[in-house]
Amino acid sequence: MSFGSPYFTLPEFTYHKPKTLREALELLEKYGDEAKVMAGGVGLIPFMKERLISPTHVIDIKEIAELKKLEYKKGEGLTIGATITFSELEKYQLLKEKYRALYQAVKLASDNIIRNRATLIGNICEAIPWVDGPIPLIAYGAEVEIKSLDEVRRTPVADFIKGPVEIDLKPGEIVTSIHLPDIPEEAKSGFLKFNTGSEFALLNIAAYLLITAKKKDVRLVYGAISSKPARALEAEKILLRDGDLNALISMAAIKASEELEVISDVLASEDYRRHLIKILTMKLLKELVEEV
Amino acid sequence: MTFKYIGRPVPPQDGFYKVTGTAQYTLDVELPGMLYAKLVTSTVPHAKIKKIDVSKALQVPGVVKVVVGKDFPYRVGMYAGDRDLLAIDKVRWVGHPVAAVLAESLEAAEKAIDLVDVEYEELPTVFDPLEALSPDAPLIHEKMEEYRHSPAFRPIPGTNIANKFTLVKGDVEKGFREADVIIEEKFYIPHVSHCFMEVHNVVAHYHLDGTVEIWTSWQNVAPIRQIMALSLGIPHNKIIVKIPYVGGGFGGKAGLGWEALVAILSKEAGYRPVKLVLSRKEQFTSAAVREGFYGFAKAGFKKDGRFIAYDVKFILDAGAYADYTVNVGRAVGYSADGCYEIPNIRVESLTVYTNKIPTTALRGFGYPESHWVLEQIMDKAAEKLGIDPAELRKINLVKPGISETCTGERLREDAGNPQKVLEVLLEEIGWGKPSEKPREPWKIRSKGLALFVKGPAQPPNASASAILKFNEDASIDLLIATGNFGQGTVTALMQIVAEEFGLPLEKIRVDYIRDTHKSAYTWQTVGSRGLFTDGIAILNAIEDAKKQIFKIASEVLRCPEDHLELVDGEVRVKGKPWEKIPLQDIVMGYTYPNGNSIGGPVIGRGVFMSTHTTYLDPETGQGNPTIFHTFGGTAVEIEVNLLTGEVEVLKGVQVLDLGKVINPLLVEQQVNGGFLMGLSIGLYEQIKFDERGWVVNPNFTNYYLIRIKDIPKQIIWKTVETPQSDGPYGARGVGELTMIGVAPAIANAIYRALRVKLNELPMSPENIWKALREQRPEIVDEALKKFLEFKKMVEVKK
Amino acid sequence: MVHKLSLIVNGIKRTVEVKDNEILLDVLRDKLKIKSLKAACWRGECGLCTVLLNGKLVKSCLVLAVEVDGSEIITVEGLVKDGELSPIQRAFIEHGAFQCGFCTPAFVLASHQLLIENPNPSEEEIKEKLGGIICRCGTYLEIIKAIKSASRFYQKK
Repeated sequence: MSFGSPYFTLPEFTYHKPKTLREALELLEKYGDEAKVMAGGVGLIPFMKERLISPTHVIDIKEIAELKKLEYKKGEGLTIGATITFSELEKYQLLKEKYRALYQAVKLASDNIIRNRATLIGNICEAIPWVDGPIPLIAYGAEVEIKSLDEVRRTPVADFIKGPVEIDLKPGEIVTSIHLPDIPEEAKSGFLKFNTGSEFALLNIAAYLLITAKKKDVRLVYGAISSKPARALEAEKILLRDGDLNALISMAAIKASEELEVISDVLASEDYRRHLIKILTMKLLKELVEEV
Repeated sequence: MTFKYIGRPVPPQDGFYKVTGTAQYTLDVELPGMLYAKLVTSTVPHAKIKKIDVSKALQVPGVVKVVVGKDFPYRVGMYAGDRDLLAIDKVRWVGHPVAAVLAESLEAAEKAIDLVDVEYEELPTVFDPLEALSPDAPLIHEKMEEYRHSPAFRPIPGTNIANKFTLVKGDVEKGFREADVIIEEKFYIPHVSHCFMEVHNVVAHYHLDGTVEIWTSWQNVAPIRQIMALSLGIPHNKIIVKIPYVGGGFGGKAGLGWEALVAILSKEAGYRPVKLVLSRKEQFTSAAVREGFYGFAKAGFKKDGRFIAYDVKFILDAGAYADYTVNVGRAVGYSADGCYEIPNIRVESLTVYTNKIPTTALRGFGYPESHWVLEQIMDKAAEKLGIDPAELRKINLVKPGISETCTGERLREDAGNPQKVLEVLLEEIGWGKPSEKPREPWKIRSKGLALFVKGPAQPPNASASAILKFNEDASIDLLIATGNFGQGTVTALMQIVAEEFGLPLEKIRVDYIRDTHKSAYTWQTVGSRGLFTDGIAILNAIEDAKKQIFKIASEVLRCPEDHLELVDGEVRVKGKPWEKIPLQDIVMGYTYPNGNSIGGPVIGRGVFMSTHTTYLDPETGQGNPTIFHTFGGTAVEIEVNLLTGEVEVLKGVQVLDLGKVINPLLVEQQVNGGFLMGLSIGLYEQIKFDERGWVVNPNFTNYYLIRIKDIPKQIIWKTVETPQSDGPYGARGVGELTMIGVAPAIANAIYRALRVKLNELPMSPENIWKALREQRPEIVDEALKKFLEFKKMVEVKK
Repeated sequence: MVHKLSLIVNGIKRTVEVKDNEILLDVLRDKLKIKSLKAACWRGECGLCTVLLNGKLVKSCLVLAVEVDGSEIITVEGLVKDGELSPIQRAFIEHGAFQCGFCTPAFVLASHQLLIENPNPSEEEIKEKLGGIICRCGTYLEIIKAIKSASRFYQKK
């Protein structure tokens, strides 16, 4: 995927600004794959400028009140609406306290000016392999809610992203929100991004860790490694074992660096990425474990 | 002597316009009836153009004309003279402009470029300059012998060599026979882009009467006119080039630009003004960038540290066109010896065509390349010899007044004080004192240094001039062509005028537009020469004006001219300050009470002409290439993360022998800016090509530039002031110097601490990690072990 | 389709006709002649086209003009009040926090907004808030100095 455009202007399209979700869905139904939904526009506009996509209808959802939702309910979890920006999430105290991996990813995403417009759901729908948003969401087991005129469905973020700029969204459908399940008090989570000398991550990683006497639950999610984010399932299993946690962390990190599918691209080689997987996994897990 | 303005930290005088957004750049220029131009660029790296079908493009509403290269088979250029306006019969790189669409709106032009059909017959390609030297490599320029090149260069028709520079001094074979220690190393630097923020953009209006007006984002007006006049056959006085504020240059807006093409487009559009603006992608892929570079060096030293033999070969990957790069190839060649005296030296520097982006100058002009090689050779030799790297440098430093450079130029006695530069550098970085231990045991700290010297790379007859005219209130309009693209030179030049006349700085005005029609000629503002050459021209203009002023005052005050002095805007009789006459009563001519008048409006004129520089001998490279040498050094203290390969600069020190600092604030800007640019190119930047010659990172997301979060904790600078007698107040140039030493100093710091060679740029985390793993895997293992054993991760993070 | 937008640009009511596919940056520069806005990448990387849109910094190359009907926009032109430069503008001049000046309007505007939101920012916070704007001349150190020195003027308010 190479970015950059000779063009300054955008292809022609018709702009729509529906006030209700129903109105938006009707437009989507009517125009099918000719239409694209726009929230912040920070992904869509460059894509159009580069002629990677040329929708003839652009549906701006910013005015739809139902999509501005940002709400936490104990026992149910957190709902993030489609027009919630990274900046709004950054200021949302609960995120910092409860969903730390997501908070850290939000703070590290792009730059603070872009974050004023960019939405988390837009970030996921872009499905660029190097972005930060999906990684912690997958670690929390988050789901996207998708609506069309005749259906509401939910699908895990992990399945929603199918490949580079490829998502599980049919013409006529719109992602309305993301749901993060509620997580136990004892759970820990964190996010690391390696992007020294790069705008995009060469590697990003999120971990969700619940290790108590009663219950163990571990998720390790990696981005910027291949066509889509991936969990290191074997490494997770290692962390579920009993034993010296420090030793398990080392084993898990090594396992993760071996088991994942990793590619070379313009940002980094496969070898270096595998090495970073090992280092960043150890660093993040050690930090989480030491954090009392 | 105390000065009112010289040596003072006067803020740049265009600040008001810049902070209010009222400074006008070429990007802001709009003319009535203006059309928009858009380029169609090649999608293949090397091919014959079979056919260009523009019929569909012409159907787009608003399209006025589509222009193709074969209708305008001009060859243009400054040095190699190899460039076309649009591809004539074949394309030579991916991004080569093949046609231009002219339309009433940019939107129409952009629609139309997609509809121009170009049929290619692909030719064999060559992307590697070493392969391009092979006799059976595809030939990129078949008719090199027809190009009008400057006498300073040696193209070799029938090959891909755009320039062959050779230099021989002493007997290098004998030197190696006598050497006790021999070092051999290979070095590489990838292509980098200037990334000035204002992209190349031009507005041209070819008038029906044959006059051409140009507005352009370029460093200099004169070469544009010269190139257009010589290649298009337009008389000089019918070409008017105007340059308003410029959003950065860094060498990438010197020499040949797009002006001749846009002028032709304006004519083709029926004499309507035309604007061409490159997109950032086009700036990366269709405009010139800095060349790729290989250096193969062999160096011989005596046991006592004397550097006695140096045999070095430079190969410059000039891409498809080498108009300006041939001069980079020459400069990297004659600067091979840096600031050391090497009795036996042989240099070959080949500027080689490949099917990649054309190339040009970038801040430092060959010197960053020659020093990337030499300054690392010094540290590697120091290790082998068991001599401290600073000591080894001390042993071999040139001695002004005694030493000869590799071109056989005897350094003038007042050329500078490199020994003192080194002393101050060592003092400021705390050389010999160990660094503090980092808290994380998988990191190490280290110090490294590099010395450098640079003079402007210019033709021997590159001149400058200045006109200074008084207004009624004794304010001054200074008419100069000095490029004004952020360096602050113009402010320093204004300080000189204010100082010399004893006038407040507010009374000196330099218009923001450079104009071939109105500004006095200067060859170019490049190579850190502006303050020196244009400063001398201005001082001569000041002297000329003063003569006129004193002549009038002498009659009025009835006192010999040599008894008069200019103080605080008044002419006074020396020793009798009450016998005086204010400047404003003289500068328009003096009028006696009865109406009789003498003198007239005062206009000073002055020139700079270098009288001692020469072309270099084509075989031996001997001669005098430069008008001054600025000596300097960079030292760094760095921290390397052995796990990830990340480098952080904790402290940077720059020491320069500037002769005289005219304005410390402006010098500090150059020191900081040059350091950060050096750091960015040293650690991050690289244009990446795929196997088909396409640039894969033509944007600021994948081509990373240093951001505010990446700046070092501390950058300090010191000056040694050894005045050069012919420089303005003794000053020498500074602009480019400040980035030359950064990358080699970092590489040397890494080598000192880890004995890991980093002979290739950029020193990205991945490249450092790879070098560590290949050369010293035990270091990485050890670091990993420490990392695993480390218990207090959280504490460190806080 | 042509839309007639009403905007308040630097305190002045403006109307302008735009097509659906026009970008805010281009409309501000080419139609409303707000030439202080610059651009170097046209795809959200360089930050030179940053404006205050309803009190928030945004990169105007990533905004459709048609989206912002009824909005208030402030650019660096809007920082000069009653013929007086704002304190941050004075500080930029005094500290030489610019070289070529092409990125300066964006840095001035973002620095101004930063000081309004937090009159006493730490160095880390300055870096964080200005991280989306590029200065190739490398005047970052001078910009940080300018912001620190202008800080006191924003505290008084």
